[in-house]
Amino acid sequence: MSEQNLQQSLSESISALVDNQASELELQRVLKASEKDPDVKATWARYQIMGAILRGEQASQSAIVLSDFAARVSASIAAEEQIIVIPAQKANQSWWHQLGRVALVASVAGGMIISVQQYNNIAIQSEVASTAGSAAIPAPMISPLSLPSGINGPAFNTRSVALQTGYETRPQENRRVMFQPRQAVVPNAPATTISEEELTRYVNEMIQAHSDNAALNSSQGVLPYARVIVTDE
Amino acid sequence: MFKLVLWISVGALLVLSLSARAENQASSVLSISAPSVQTLLIKMSKDAARINYSGSFTYQNQTRAALQSFKVEHWVENGQEHDRLLFLNGPEREIVREGRPVDCSSMGNKLLQGSFANLGKSLINLNNLYQFEIRGQERIAGRLARVLLVIPKDAYRYGYFLSIDEETGLVLKSWLIDENARPLERYQFVSIEFNSDPDKGRRAVSSHHHKVVANATPCNPMGFSKPELWQVAWVPSGFEFAGQRRLSNGQEMLMYTDGLTTFSIFIESASGVLPEGVGQSGATLAYMSSLVHKSSIYRVNVVGEIPVAAATKIAQSVTRL
Repeated sequence: MSEQNLQQSLSESISALVDNQASELELQRVLKASEKDPDVKATWARYQIMGAILRGEQASQSAIVLSDFAARVSASIAAEEQIIVIPAQKANQSWWHQLGRVALVASVAGGMIISVQQYNNIAIQSEVASTAGSAAIPAPMISPLSLPSGINGPAFNTRSVALQTGYETRPQENRRVMFQPRQAVVPNAPATTISEEELTRYVNEMIQAHSDNAALNSSQGVLPYARVIVTDE
Repeated sequence: MFKLVLWISVGALLVLSLSARAENQASSVLSISAPSVQTLLIKMSKDAARINYSGSFTYQNQTRAALQSFKVEHWVENGQEHDRLLFLNGPEREIVREGRPVDCSSMGNKLLQGSFANLGKSLINLNNLYQFEIRGQERIAGRLARVLLVIPKDAYRYGYFLSIDEETGLVLKSWLIDENARPLERYQFVSIEFNSDPDKGRRAVSSHHHKVVANATPCNPMGFSKPELWQVAWVPSGFEFAGQRRLSNGQEMLMYTDGLTTFSIFIESASGVLPEGVGQSGATLAYMSSLVHKSSIYRVNVVGEIPVAAATKIAQSVTRL
């Protein structure tokens, strides 16, 4: 009785799995049962055929599931390995594909580093706790072309501001100042309504003046001026 | 009794002379293989200003992902330093710096050279602020450079990874490293030519040039001073006041250095609304806060290549005298 019940519930689980509706627990149970019970594999194959027939698929295709499932999987994995082998004459093209992938991974990694950096800043500076309401203004969308600048954008607690003068080819990329606002210390202070351009100009002016100090007092020649964003005055 | 004292003193003398000789030998051996940290720092802060060179370098930082390149020219003429920094990427821009005497040592130079050691003031040695490690040689822009690792000993400054040209003392590569050992920004020369013809540098500057202040901090300071009107009660140990100036926009600027790292404090009467918080552009941080003194509000901003913990503490310690 209980044996039969178990079989029935297992069949239901297999059915659910065929329909892609099985829970993680059911999946585990089916897999475990399939190890010792050949009936489970047979049931799986039967349900697959039934499904295929209901979907009106060709017999030749559904025949695949008739044979040993695991063996088929192994066979298809083996077949895929052969596909990966790159013909010599296509090496050049593939190289570019690979490069693209590496670049993408690198960008993602870069983005993560910057995000972590931002998190750290927030952690260190408990008093500069930005409120969710005023602070969580998402970074402005950048055109999909400018991938490198996209990695700058942690969209939390940081307002990325950009000054657009038409002077830069890609203004947002080079004029960016990351800004984490802080809750006003003066209780009745008006809400901070400064424009992004104004803020960026304000910060960049100070960085420029600071570079005069840095160039004289850090023994690195004029290198600090590379940090400066010079505006056309 | 007398004999014993005599013997002891003779013994002590012997030991002293022996150890002195050993030390001499050790230092002479070292100077052949690798320069001392002190020699390297002095060279870096003194010699590089006196040579003519032109070269190109790349620059990259954490917020501007794009690699930027620059052309730099430096030459000495009539005892004055001349610098040109041309932005090679994006629109044509140029930074021009001239009018600083070549024998002008800034507070930063002096601190790096340790020239205040005989001044009597309880000066904090650079070795108490950073741990210096000379690593091997590295070839950069076709030049042999000595790698100097500079690790901060507190949480109020960043570290450096410097490659200094052995012959001229010019910094050929510089990485600024944060507390988690990640680079915040990177400079590196790609090509450099020394003793280049100064005439080459005297070409016409582009119409988009920008003249920067070459005398922001005074020459050859003889001692330490304090800012006027304002009191900065706390700065990270080793930072010294380097100068003060009033900017054209009315901001009062106080400049500080520890020899390698700099920060500036900008103070102005608050007019209009500006947000408070932390701005970041590359490795440079701008901590913006306000100060109320006798019912007037001032804006206090700390800008520099320093961690936010340091900038916050500095800004909070500023008071009006």
